[in-house]
Amino acid sequence: MTAITNFLAFLGLVVTLLIVWQQSWPGRLRLFVAQSLLLALLTLVIGVFVGKPGLLVVAGVVVLLKAWLIPRALARIGAGTPVRPVAPGHSSAVPLLVACALVVVAYVVMLPVNSATTLPTEGGIPLAFAMALIGLFVCVTGRDALGHLLGFLMFENGLFGLALLATYGLPGLVEAGVFLDVLAIVLLMEGVVLRVRREHDSIEVNRLRELRG
Amino acid sequence: MRLLLLLAIPLAGAALLTRMGGRGARAVHGLTAGGTLAAAAVLAAAVTREGSVTALDGLLRADALSAWMATLVGLVAALAAAEAPRQVPLGEAGRFYPLFHLFTWTMLLAVTTDDVGLMWVAVEGTTLASVFLVNFERSRASLEASYKYLLICSVGVAIAFAGTVLVYFADVQQFGDEPYPLRWTTLLRLAPGLPARVIELAFVFLLVGYGTKAGLAPMHTWLPDAHSEAPAPVSALMSGVLLSVGLYAVLRFKAVADLAAGPDFAGRLLVALGLASLGVAAAFLWAPRNYKRMLAYSSVEHVGVVCLGLGFGGPLGVAGAVLHIGNHALAKSVLFLLSGRIRAAYGTAEIPAVSGLLTAMPLTGRGFLVAMLALMGLPPFGLFVSEVMIFAAGFQTGHVMAAALGLALLVVAFSGLLRATHRMLYGPAPARALETAHWTSALPLGAALLLLVLAGLAWPPGLAAALGQIASLLGP
Repeated sequence: MTAITNFLAFLGLVVTLLIVWQQSWPGRLRLFVAQSLLLALLTLVIGVFVGKPGLLVVAGVVVLLKAWLIPRALARIGAGTPVRPVAPGHSSAVPLLVACALVVVAYVVMLPVNSATTLPTEGGIPLAFAMALIGLFVCVTGRDALGHLLGFLMFENGLFGLALLATYGLPGLVEAGVFLDVLAIVLLMEGVVLRVRREHDSIEVNRLRELRG
Repeated sequence: MRLLLLLAIPLAGAALLTRMGGRGARAVHGLTAGGTLAAAAVLAAAVTREGSVTALDGLLRADALSAWMATLVGLVAALAAAEAPRQVPLGEAGRFYPLFHLFTWTMLLAVTTDDVGLMWVAVEGTTLASVFLVNFERSRASLEASYKYLLICSVGVAIAFAGTVLVYFADVQQFGDEPYPLRWTTLLRLAPGLPARVIELAFVFLLVGYGTKAGLAPMHTWLPDAHSEAPAPVSALMSGVLLSVGLYAVLRFKAVADLAAGPDFAGRLLVALGLASLGVAAAFLWAPRNYKRMLAYSSVEHVGVVCLGLGFGGPLGVAGAVLHIGNHALAKSVLFLLSGRIRAAYGTAEIPAVSGLLTAMPLTGRGFLVAMLALMGLPPFGLFVSEVMIFAAGFQTGHVMAAALGLALLVVAFSGLLRATHRMLYGPAPARALETAHWTSALPLGAALLLLVLAGLAWPPGLAAALGQIASLLGP
């Protein structure tokens, strides 16, 4: 089990780094779907090995929500934006370096957690936290609403992975609340972003500069 | 039962209001707000008598702190609800009232559940319920404000989720077979046995996460925009109680962290963030240009003061902080509601464009002056008492430098607020009278100001006991 969960968490981190490296929006979206599917697989594996049938349901919900409904909403938000929104000459080398540094940071921050446990899934915990940190990084450096939202969802995926690896999933009520919440955020964001686009003809947040001081 | 009633009323009201419009909606809206306040008062009375009230097999639980917060939510929601019909055109009722009561409901749920996971869901729910209230006026600026609000608060609360996961992790690692591992009462009982380093890490996440919601600097950046762009009743709710709901979540976890990691750890962090918030607020308040933003930054200031009280600790500091939450809720909601009237009359929220307020709008102007003096912490109002309690606790517990610095920053903010108020109240008045409100519409606001005077001069019976009860809940 340890080998499988470690490998899946590692793959998740690789996909996360690929999202940072990838500049075209449809590519990023496909990678996000891949990340979500990996998480669902991880949930399934842990559910089977630990014997928690509830986790099988959670895995199904992850596939439905994060690999289908949310990517569809993201595709709607992104429809009509240029495939490569990045300014010419912009390279993803620096973000990629930062993301790699964040992996180290994640290992350091999660030291107390790793030293407090002997779970078989222990090895994946810092990797999941690194996914979360990189998501946060993508979110705060995002230039448009899509970047922000994608970063937030990656952050959320990372935290989901963390909860899964460290505690084999939260109590059902909380888990359900989290899923509903992510869906609601994406749908609300879609509403707000579509309004922004109607008003500003763009979803670049740099153009939002009404409020100062 | 009493707890269920408190949560059922706003939820039922919100559901009913989605299918209503026009004058009927206003009536149901008023009834819902009044019913919520009454249910909160009943709950507070029951908690004073019995110590704590539970429902749904302990999932919902109200102790003295919950009852205090629920009463404040009820009070501010009632004040805001009374003002709402002035701000919401009849035709737009369907876009406002259901979300208003849903927003109130999420806040009430956050403070009355014993399950910290459900509390997290409810706090996130407050953001979701209020996003479209911020954007109610559909202006460009309010759209931008609601975008920032949704994004920053969602990220913040997701960080708090990481903290909650770590607390749960620590709990199940040490005590795997506990039946309700995420209940606050369970956590408090087990806290001395939890791994200190993990709880410290979790508390940092929780403080940053819920602190974002509470408007603590440097995570406050969403706050001035959302508060100034939202319609006045929503600003009043956000500033008056939403920020304190964020603080409430921090408070619950501070009690756990104190037992698991020693009291100094959380206290030091709170003092540092409190001073940072005071500093940021003082810098802006030195020369504000927009009075709604001024009130918003003053909220950052007061959240900072509350954090100082919690960080200084001791029964005096905690009681002062909790009392300050209440005082600030009343003063700030009155000010935001009045600022809505001023904005409607003058057509702008810029301070230089408003002058002669006392002559042009005698009723509103006087109310604004009185509430402003209360907010600045002058006697005989409650904020004076709670600030004295907080800073006395600071000197008592040996945080002399922090308390002195805090006081200095308060003076800076005070002078800025005073200058801005003076500028708005006096000077040449517009030729025509701008006051449109009948004097009866000022009664609820007057009642809130009266409560503030009571909190400053003569505490109502039971207040001292309630504050003592809360302080003993939260600290040694």
